[in-house]
Amino acid sequence: MTSPAPRPDDERPLDPADTLRVIQEAQRRARAGSEPDARLLYATWGAAWLGGYLTLWAGTPTGGDLPAGWAFAVFTVAMATAVVVTVVHSVRRTAGTRGVSARVGTLYGWSWFLGFLAQFLIVAGLARAGAPPEAVALAANAIACLIVGLLYLAGAMLFDDRPLVLLGGWILLVAAAATMIGVPGTYLLMALAGGGGFLVMGAVEHARAVRARRAGQVPDPRTSRA
Amino acid sequence: MPEDLDPVIHATARLRVVATLAALGEGDELSFPKLQKLLEMTAGNLSTHLRKLEDAGYVRVTKTHVGRTPATYLALTPRGRAAFDEYTAALTALLKGAGS
Repeated sequence: MTSPAPRPDDERPLDPADTLRVIQEAQRRARAGSEPDARLLYATWGAAWLGGYLTLWAGTPTGGDLPAGWAFAVFTVAMATAVVVTVVHSVRRTAGTRGVSARVGTLYGWSWFLGFLAQFLIVAGLARAGAPPEAVALAANAIACLIVGLLYLAGAMLFDDRPLVLLGGWILLVAAAATMIGVPGTYLLMALAGGGGFLVMGAVEHARAVRARRAGQVPDPRTSRA
Repeated sequence: MPEDLDPVIHATARLRVVATLAALGEGDELSFPKLQKLLEMTAGNLSTHLRKLEDAGYVRVTKTHVGRTPATYLALTPRGRAAFDEYTAALTALLKGAGS
């Protein structure tokens, strides 16, 4: 009991293996504490799409060309909840950071906002011009997915995140196919293929994180930024 | 322990500071409270180590204001990043040498 317990901040030299572990743990903490957790975001959006679109599909009366109002309300709440979770999580995680990444992240966030503002106004314009209800519903979904898919591709380029290329491309294809099918099949495909795509991405990210930790390597910050 | 490892970095507390800042992209900075939270160090202890790293030219300290509140941001200098890369390369070489 006479020797003091080693403290994490004392200056005692470590052997090389311990030292590498100290580096690895510090860098893991740094990333976990300053970048959004992709797994949480994918799980949130997967659940929102699966639940929201299934409700639209189930809420479309047989032979009808539009879901009922209550189904749209549930869908809107699911999407709004996912937006709030994403924004709060991202802002909290990146608080206290400054520089290139923070600026890129802020501009990326504003791109989403502007994209969906335009989507809302375009859809309102189509409805005002007398487009049939099914056409308005299909356009609303297709334009939203076009924004999502293209911004994921942009994110893949900005953050050098290769799996995100797959998700962006997948969402563009699913949206195109869903628009060809027509209501209510559109919503079933969006729920299963679109929501499912997010959930698969969440599982892929989780596997990547577990593998990185098990491998025990020092990840290169320039290639492993999620 | 071999003598050729960089003595500025080869102290656990400063190694953790440098490793944390090296996890950021180039051109990114962390605020002092954020760094303190990530490292779970006391403000006084962290300040002491940051001063040594700044004196060695490894860390850039930027003092600024957010509104009326003073804020301090920390980043690795190119020299600090190079020193960290050399340090990890030397460690890895030592491990490989020990293993063969």
